[in-house]
Amino acid sequence: MRALDAGIIVCSECHKLEYLRQGEVQHCTRCGARLHARRPDSIARTWALLVTAAILYIPANVLPIMTVNFLGKGAPSTIMAGVLELVHAGMVPIALVVFVASILVPTFKLVGIALLLYSVQRHQPMSARQRILMYRFIEWIGRWSMLDIFVIAILVALVNFGNLASIEPNLGAAAFSCVVILTMLAAVTFDPRLIWDNTFGEEEIEREEGEPVSGDNDTGRESEASAPPSNY
Amino acid sequence: MTQSLPPLEELIACHECDLLMRHPRVGLEQKACCPRCGFELVTHRSHMRRRSLALVLTALILFVPANFLPIISLNLLGQNAVDTVWSGVLGLYNAGMEGIALVVLLCSMLVPLMKLLCQLFVLLAMPYAELRPAACYWYRVYHHMREWGMLEVYLFGILVSAVKLLDMAELHLGVGLGCFVALMLTQVWLEVTMSPHQVWDALSEKEDGHART
Repeated sequence: MRALDAGIIVCSECHKLEYLRQGEVQHCTRCGARLHARRPDSIARTWALLVTAAILYIPANVLPIMTVNFLGKGAPSTIMAGVLELVHAGMVPIALVVFVASILVPTFKLVGIALLLYSVQRHQPMSARQRILMYRFIEWIGRWSMLDIFVIAILVALVNFGNLASIEPNLGAAAFSCVVILTMLAAVTFDPRLIWDNTFGEEEIEREEGEPVSGDNDTGRESEASAPPSNY
Repeated sequence: MTQSLPPLEELIACHECDLLMRHPRVGLEQKACCPRCGFELVTHRSHMRRRSLALVLTALILFVPANFLPIISLNLLGQNAVDTVWSGVLGLYNAGMEGIALVVLLCSMLVPLMKLLCQLFVLLAMPYAELRPAACYWYRVYHHMREWGMLEVYLFGILVSAVKLLDMAELHLGVGLGCFVALMLTQVWLEVTMSPHQVWDALSEKEDGHART
């Protein structure tokens, strides 16, 4: 059963359990954090961040992220151009890393979070386990998109030889870093427990039928004393 | 229904899916995961405080050389340029991109440093009851900063830029790179060792015993 069904809420910071008291602003007795049953306005806030990120996604990909001046010739390059340049130079593995980090991942995050929000709002019958895996993946991989920003920082500092060769950052980079930060924030404001709130019934039945209860070793049993079995 | 529940101390709820369970007995170096969603609930590390303290101090010592010693130096037609993490920030700032300079400064220097300082304070304050409220506060701050420290991403950034510059000029790897790699590894190790569950338990204990750390 869910902790919430038993009138228990979990501190979002230190994971201590407390009994829910209706109509009261509660603070964790251990760490002092504000207690919420679910992250407040999770869906609305996540949508807001996501839409902003999606809008900035366009300039991030269209505007040049840096300009390479080499022997007086300046060539602005976008994210995709940078990847293609690496491919032409024969450095396919690195090109692949950059492609994944700066094009695939941001796109996947935008689509993925939107899908999670949609499925939670519309009560889509999708596997909760798959969705939680997707959420964790999105949460984990988000920071890797900063790769291109760091590359620009290093290149700008390193290639600074006046007229001979220099690299300048451009506006696209600013837009891109905003996209990365906003999607990371969106992953933080999204409450993964919403995924389970919706699909509660089916998952429980599925689990009771076949899967072993244990995790790695010695894991917690569900508190069987607490609810009649038919409630699962 | 509430009456039939065991006391709260014997229960644990999964942070990610809100499943309520009996608190598992976890032995040394064992962990318990949520049976429903697989989230890691509890990890029990032996000598958590001592090992973490050693790692925090190592990381703090490495921090300065990792950020201020040259990571790569570049030689182009007799001209030499060196890059440190700090010079990367300055370069962006001087190019008029204050916003990105700030982001890079935060993600690659300030947040990792703040994280380490928070961890150091929490570990030091653990045995002293009067410092625990402050330690709780800083440990919460630490948890909010956690994913914003991006040392490993920065390391990949170094790799990518080195590859990009390879055919353009002569590259030399510097001492800073070694320190940076060491810093990153120490920090990852520290995050594995310092199990949050144990830290919170230690911070909420009464004065009677600090044996559990």
